[in-house]
Order: sequence, then C-alpha cells, then structure tokens
Amino acid sequence: MSNVPILKIEHLGHAYGKFQVINDISLKIPKGELTALIGPNGAGKTTFYNVISGRFPPSKGRIFFAGREITGKPAHKIVPMGMLRSFQITNIFPKLSVRENVLIPLLLQHRRGYTFLRSLKREKQLYQQADEVLSQIGILEYGNKPARELAYGDKRLVEMAVVLARKPKLVLLDEPTAGMNPEETERMILLIKELAERFGTTFFLTEHDMKVVFSIARRIFVLHQGGLLATGTPEEIRANPQVREAYLGGGDIKC
Amino acid sequence: MKNRPEYPKTAVFLIFLIGFLVACPFFLPTYWTFILGEILIMALFAMSFNLLLGYSGLLSFGQAGFFGVGAYSTALLILQGWQSLSLILLAGIFSAALAAAAIGYLCVRRDEIYFAMITLGFGMMLFTIAHNWIELTGGSDGLPLAVLPALKLPGLELSLFDPRNMYLFILVIVLAAIFFLWRLVRSPFGLILTAVRENKERLAFVGADVRMVRLTAFTIAGGLAGLSGVLFCLFNSMATPDFMHWSYSARPVLMTVLGGAEIFLGPAFGAAVFFLLEQVITNVTDNWMIFLGAILIPVVIFFPQGILGTMIKYFNREQETDK
Repeated sequence: MSNVPILKIEHLGHAYGKFQVINDISLKIPKGELTALIGPNGAGKTTFYNVISGRFPPSKGRIFFAGREITGKPAHKIVPMGMLRSFQITNIFPKLSVRENVLIPLLLQHRRGYTFLRSLKREKQLYQQADEVLSQIGILEYGNKPARELAYGDKRLVEMAVVLARKPKLVLLDEPTAGMNPEETERMILLIKELAERFGTTFFLTEHDMKVVFSIARRIFVLHQGGLLATGTPEEIRANPQVREAYLGGGDIKC
Repeated sequence: MKNRPEYPKTAVFLIFLIGFLVACPFFLPTYWTFILGEILIMALFAMSFNLLLGYSGLLSFGQAGFFGVGAYSTALLILQGWQSLSLILLAGIFSAALAAAAIGYLCVRRDEIYFAMITLGFGMMLFTIAHNWIELTGGSDGLPLAVLPALKLPGLELSLFDPRNMYLFILVIVLAAIFFLWRLVRSPFGLILTAVRENKERLAFVGADVRMVRLTAFTIAGGLAGLSGVLFCLFNSMATPDFMHWSYSARPVLMTVLGGAEIFLGPAFGAAVFFLLEQVITNVTDNWMIFLGAILIPVVIFFPQGILGTMIKYFNREQETDK
C-alpha cells in the first residue's frame, strides 16, 4: 500500500484549441513527499493543476489518485477521495465568518449538506472540529469575523484552513505565498512543514519564490513550455544545466 | 454573542406582529381583510423567490410559472370534485415542485443572466400552455370555481367564501410555510446554499455538487411558489393564465428589491409595501406603475439593501453606539 504513489500521471496533455498548454507529462509523487512544481510564467502550472483537480478534463492522458483513476472526474467527486486544492487568487467565502468557512467542508465531509430542518447550531461536534482546525492554523481568534475583513495574509490562511478541514491526503497549493510579505511567507512555510510532519499530508505546490521552493521541497519538477523538463532533488535541480538554460537564461538559481 | 440581548426583542416583536395579524379581520373592514390576505400570499411567493436570489444568488424570472402550476392544479382538482383541502394543498406543492425539478434540471447549469433568461423562457412556455390549451385550462378565461371545499376542523366546518375564514386559513398556511423556510435557511443546507451564492467554485472544491444543491433549492422554491399559487386560486376562486404571465414573475423580484434580499423577512415586507402603496396611489391616479418606478429607483440607488434591510442596519448601528 505504501508503495502506491499518492499521485500518478500518465502522458497528460491539454490543449486550448490548437495551442498545446500541457504536453505529455508523466510523473509520480510518493505519499508524504513534499513536492514542488516550478517553471516560468506561462509554463502551464495552473492549467496542470486545473486538470488534476478536476476543474476541467484533460485532452489526453490518465490521472490516478492513490491508485484509483480520477481522469475526467469533477471536483466534487475527487475531493471526497482526499485531494483538495488552493487557488492562486485567494478563494474563500468572503461574507461568511471564518468559522463558517471551515464548517462548510466539514458539513460536506460528514454528509450533512442535505440536512434541511435541523438547526445548524446543533452540529456542536463539527463546530468543535472547525475550531480545532482554526487553532492549528493559528487563526482561531478571527473565528467570528467575516472572512473578507481579514488582512491579506490571514485570508490566505483561511483558505488553508478550508482546504485542510477535511484532512486531505494530498493538497495542491497554487502559489501559497503569492503576494505575501516576508514575515507572512515565513509563517506559511513553517505551517506547511509542520502540517506535513504532523498529519502526513502530502503537499504538492507551485511557487514563484525559489527561496520557498528550495527550503521546503524534497523533490522538484520543472515545467517548461508545457512539458516536463527535469525532475530531482533541490540539489540536482540547482545543478541541472538544462534547467539553468531554460528557466534562468543561463544564470544561477538565486536562493 | 453581542446579538444575544436583541434576540428576545425580535421574538416579542414577532409575537406581537402575529397577534396583530390574527386580530386584523376582527376589526378591519372586509375590503382590507382581502388586501391583507393577498399581501400574505404574495409575501410567501416573494419569499420562495428569495430562497433563490437572496440565499443561492440565482435570479429567477420564471417563478410565476410554478405559482400558476399550483393554482391550476387546485382549480382542476376542485373541478374534479376533490373535497380535502390538505390533499389539494399537498397536490399543489407536489406538482409545482415536480415542474420545478424538471425545469430546474436544465436551468441550474447556467448562472446569472443566462439562468434568468432560461427561467424566463420556461415561464413563458408555461404561460402559453395555460393560455392555449383551452380544453384543459379554459384558455384566457381561466377556470372559475363555483364551489370551494369547506375548511374542516374538528367539530366545525367553515366556508372559505367567508372572507374572515379565508384570511385566517391563508394566515395559518403562510406562517407555517415561513416557519419552514426559517428552519431551512438555518439548517446545514442553508449554510451550503449561502456558500453557493458566496463562491460556487470554492464550494465545488471542498466537495459539493453545486448543481445538485441549486436544483434542490430550485425545487423547494418551486414547491413553495406552488403553495402560494394554491392559496391564490382559492382566494380568487379561479385560476387564470394571468397568474403565469411574465409580469407576474416580476412581482417577487420587485417586492424583494423593495424589502431587501439579504433579510429573511425582506421580501414579505416588500410585498406589504408594494400592496399598500398600490392601494394608496391608485386612489389618486391610474398611473400607479409610474409611481412604483419612482419609488424603486431611489431604493435601488440609495438603499440597495432594501427598505427593511436598511432599517435593520440603521437600528443595529444605533444600538451599537448606545453601548
């Protein structure tokens, strides 16, 4: 069981019309390995995530999550299996309280989404679970606040809480530190590391900030013009001449 | 927690309001009892619509279609000789919900203006059926009812042709339906519904089948619109195609905008304002729609949360500054 990769992708391709955004990508991510996907703007990172997470089906190829095929399945079928994602632009329920934001995935996980005439207030256990998640992320103090009233960095943490509430096995993070100041970035890195260790969650993230990537990823995939250019440990990637050539115009990888 | 002390105040106010509504037919002239009965029916109609707009963020322009299905099912069943009001009510709700489930299956695939246009289209189709299928619906004359089933209570039988009985019957049914809606929006499903309005993509990506959630809401809203249609058919002793005309679908939209979509009782309040204004203004002029427009425009521009929404916000702010 432990040998089954949490994510396996075979010859994945996606095209908008004639333009091939993603081209024949195959990769495997072992359970528990903190993995990063890097590549210059327009390399196809977000499209790649959209295809894996079920936002739209791929034009080609197959996707397996923990050994089960999920190719072409919509998000609401993939999520209960244990794969969740964040978005590059913070994606939360702005007018709802921070606690309600987290309560929603918990209600769905416990199949209470179609409970009609029972008061929500009676879901005490789920409220408690929501508060546990909030305190893990460190935003319990904002529980009653509408999510839109939080500072930018805290909103990103709310999205993390929303994503993590269902205790996913695999989390796709699309640029988790985008737009954050150095302090917030540091906090996010620590949080991801801690969660990966404590719960064995596998994180697969894209990132702009090379410092972040090299400080947390154990394995890195490099995407270039829609194809997979290189795979390896941070050291291997840093030393890879092809990566330097394509990605950094021959310069050094700064970090 | 800061809302706690307000809670009993709201409860006291509601009990007073219900008591007032019960007492009304005993001191108001018959004419006003009729007006009040119509307001109650339209309040329920508007609130069924607002389950879609206010809670799930869907603007339906075809709600009169389901209102009409409820009305025609009632008229047809009474003409068939059905005697039981409770069965007639259930049949009306059920047939409207069934129509909403079938039509909703196609509507919920789209959002915003597209959703609005598809619901408008289906609403017009239902109107045309009611208008042109003369053998079944009596065409533009509709189906007038010479008899209404009696309201049977233990130990007594009341005629619905008595305005006071009719009003109290409407009041009980409307209050029960509003109570049902109130429970619904405070249930876990209610929160999921709000989440559809807030961010349907995030909701899908925490595991909800957004279409299914919307279809469920659409079906419930259709059933409740059907219930208000049943009441309206009994109230008027007839069903006519006018009930299904698209201008009838506009009514709950206007009432909700007037009262406030984000307040639970906003649409009901809007319905009351709508009819009271109509009464006052039609006494003075025949061009009441001009005045309605003249009132709606500043409401939309200056009080986008509606009249009740703005009042409650103002009231809450006053309370906060008092502390």
